[in-house]
Amino acid sequence: MQCDQTNLLQGTLDMMILKALAPGDLHGLGVSRRIEQITKGTFQVKPGSLFPALHRMEEQGWLVASWGESENKRRARYYKLTSVGRRQLEAETSRGGRIVLAITRTLEAS
Amino acid sequence: MNFPRLASLLRNLLHKQGEERELDEEVRAHEQLLVDENIQAGMNPQEARRQARLELGGVEQVKEQVREIRAGHLLETLFQDVRYAARTMRRSPAFTITAVLTLALGIGANTAVFSVVNTVLLRPLPYPDSDRLVQLWSTNPNTDHWGMWTAYPRFEDWRRQNTVFEEMATTRSWVINIKGSDHPESLLGVITSSQLLELLRVRPILGRGFLPEEDQPGHWHVILLSYGLWQRRFGSDPAVIGRTVNVGQENYTVIGVMPADFRFPPDIRASYRVDAWLPPAPDPSRDERVSNNYYTFARLKPGVTLGQAQAEMDAISHGLAEKYDADRGLGVKVVSWQRQVGSEVRPALLILLGAISLVLLIACANVANLLLVRGAVRQREVALRQALGAGHGRLIRQFMTESMLLAVCGGVAGLLLAYEGLHLFIRLAPDIPRLNETTMDPRVLIFSAALTLAAGLIFGVAPALQGLGSDSQGSLKESCNRLTSGATRARARNVLVVAEMALALMLLAGAGLLVRSFVRVQQVDPGFNAKNVLTAFVMLPPSKYPEPRRQAQFFYEVMERIASLPGVECVGAADSAPMLTNDTGPVSIEGHPVVRDEEKIETERPKITPDYFRAMGIPLLRGRTFTWADNESSLPVAIINEAAARQYWPREDAMGKRVELEDGSAPVWRQIVGIVGDVREDGLLKAGRPEVYAPLLQAPVPYMALIVRTRTQPAALTAAVRQAVMAVDKDQPLFQVETMQQVVNDSVAGRRFQMALLAVFAALALGLAAIGIYGLMSYTVNQRTHEIGIRMALGAKREDVLHLVVRHGMMLAIAGVVVGTVGALLLTRFLSGMLYGVGVNDPTTLLSVATLLIGVAALASYIPARRATRVDPMVALRYE
Repeated sequence: MQCDQTNLLQGTLDMMILKALAPGDLHGLGVSRRIEQITKGTFQVKPGSLFPALHRMEEQGWLVASWGESENKRRARYYKLTSVGRRQLEAETSRGGRIVLAITRTLEAS
Repeated sequence: MNFPRLASLLRNLLHKQGEERELDEEVRAHEQLLVDENIQAGMNPQEARRQARLELGGVEQVKEQVREIRAGHLLETLFQDVRYAARTMRRSPAFTITAVLTLALGIGANTAVFSVVNTVLLRPLPYPDSDRLVQLWSTNPNTDHWGMWTAYPRFEDWRRQNTVFEEMATTRSWVINIKGSDHPESLLGVITSSQLLELLRVRPILGRGFLPEEDQPGHWHVILLSYGLWQRRFGSDPAVIGRTVNVGQENYTVIGVMPADFRFPPDIRASYRVDAWLPPAPDPSRDERVSNNYYTFARLKPGVTLGQAQAEMDAISHGLAEKYDADRGLGVKVVSWQRQVGSEVRPALLILLGAISLVLLIACANVANLLLVRGAVRQREVALRQALGAGHGRLIRQFMTESMLLAVCGGVAGLLLAYEGLHLFIRLAPDIPRLNETTMDPRVLIFSAALTLAAGLIFGVAPALQGLGSDSQGSLKESCNRLTSGATRARARNVLVVAEMALALMLLAGAGLLVRSFVRVQQVDPGFNAKNVLTAFVMLPPSKYPEPRRQAQFFYEVMERIASLPGVECVGAADSAPMLTNDTGPVSIEGHPVVRDEEKIETERPKITPDYFRAMGIPLLRGRTFTWADNESSLPVAIINEAAARQYWPREDAMGKRVELEDGSAPVWRQIVGIVGDVREDGLLKAGRPEVYAPLLQAPVPYMALIVRTRTQPAALTAAVRQAVMAVDKDQPLFQVETMQQVVNDSVAGRRFQMALLAVFAALALGLAAIGIYGLMSYTVNQRTHEIGIRMALGAKREDVLHLVVRHGMMLAIAGVVVGTVGALLLTRFLSGMLYGVGVNDPTTLLSVATLLIGVAALASYIPARRATRVDPMVALRYE
């Protein structure tokens, strides 16, 4: 499934990015690959959606970015969760949980 | 917006370059990481790079997407668009100047006209809580007359009996002679009952207003001065309060000075100035119920509606009608004062506003067309921007920004134009009530700002939509395909030109009808000869001339003196003269008893000197005129006009019959000794009323208009006439000195002004429409150079090419004329009240303006067509 803002709720993308960054700092490609990994390849986040989302979340104060070096010695911009971002993740997680529960019930009911 | 977001907004705006660099690095690093990944997966470097690019989807596009979500993005792109638009405007100055000037004309003229409408019709009267102020008119339901003034005793009954008004006042304008140490002066005064200032909620700046008892007999010798009179005649002396001034031989005590900006009546002609307010002196004009010469005003109590007031006043006048003979058949009408003030000029002003808004629409259509033409040229630029990642919304925003920038430039220039134009308007306009109060207040500024935005939207929409219609691939490849231009675009341009033509035709039709009416009005014979006639008024104070005989004697001597002046052909005088003053009232016809209520005979009853008819140029049709021998001791005589003869003696000869003027004195039956022609008393448009003339010596009056027929320039005799009057009595000033020609011209001044203004608007519309069609044809010829070259190479002659282009222009013009004619037929009926002697759908007018429009359109398309015929087929074909 392709992931862009038109066919995926913005909140879902935000939650996945926050989740991806929870264990530690990552650069853009790292975030993208991590989401693929978490969702077992269901979501592939294209740069056209990823970067606007990262920058928006940075402007909202959920993430901070800094330049660092990648595993193969390339300069890359790394993103890190702030405390606001962590609180946001908790809120999103419980909300997401409720939504998933609701969807599951709906599917089972039919 | 929370704090981090606000901080990012500032950072984005202030450190834009740094942010941009970081973004670029980040996206490129991402690309590099992808490449590395692919190489690790075993691709060769070239393939790895290609795959990375595919996944990324374009560095620039990604960057643009990030920019769009950034804080302050809208603001930033707005700045960007404005800068870009300004650059585009500077790059094509001819286009910019044309568009801005067109808009400035449209917006400026609209703003100027609206300023007048705003002042005259919308702005509240210059008194506090003026929405509760009303006017009370006497009405006569039998004759369907309303708008009659009322009599003072009736006003007193109204004031006593009503419970709906807080205050009531009744007033009349009156010329007063003020006598001073050096020279006598005639001033315009307002006679008023005592509550006027309380009603208006205005206080004197010095002294006090009238006390309630000061409109009662015995207390009325008090006067309020205008600020101007106080300055002029009393040197702004604060000690003027309590001083005595001599007005018409009576001594009045000054009790107060009104503020400089106090105006009452508020709708008085701009050229008049009221200098004093004083209570009514007891005299017949005040004490008789038949002397209807007072205007009545009132202030509604809070919460009382017009309807409630009307209901109570109906009941009161019903009661009065049962009590008094003079009130029988009379009603009363309560109207909002604010509405009343502008009521006469309202239709004319609204028509002008409507007309000028049509001109603005034409201007918008013109600018839209200019933009469309330019849009076609910019197609490739648009395509390029789209390819680089600009979305539809972004492009529309940019086009609208450009249109709005044009509109705002036009609006600002228009405001300057309106400011200048307004002065011109006020100088040239006839007396419109409150016109001299006209200013460009905040409401006017809001109006023109709204107009500017609306104009920008109207002419901006077409080019913005057009910009989107093109698909980027096609446009980029199309390069210079000149054989055909987009069909939709061409249709939009044609429709705009047809609309311009149609609007111009409507305006031309309206202006044409007014011009034809005005010509008809000018041809009306007023019944007198206004050429070489000087008029002036003299009013004798009753206190100095209490006896009618002495009044008559005074005027006799004045006539003798003026008649002997060099340059004077003859001189007459009348207390009621056409377009100057009137005195209507009932007359009795011997042998024709009239039922008073249904057929109260309203007849003009002038008292005249023997030479009046000769001086005025009114023809004597039968019998004789008066002589000085028709005096109090001879047989009472009268002269009537044709209208009177027709109305009162329809089947008999009026000569020798007898009439009586019911003017309050003992009945005198007068024998008719002559019949004269009718005159148009109330302006050129109203047919003459019945008139019964009586000789001055048999019916003396203290107030007369002097009519001096001169051999040369009448105005040159003003000083001599004034001296002749002062030679008889040095205290008697002349007032309202005018030539009769001026009086006649003034009576049609409003009509002339309106006609001229609408004609100017129509000419403007015609000019704009001509520019519109010229621009379109020039553009089309340019676009079709290639095609024309082919046609000529295949053997088309010059005439064929000429025909091809002119026919296109003519098709548009004819379509415009057809649509415009339908519009004109629908709209001209609003003009019906202003036409004279032509129908609203006058075919001659419609035909001539249609011909004019088509002619102008033909000329405007002929010039570009000529250019097309000079196309050299070889050059045209090689061009690409």
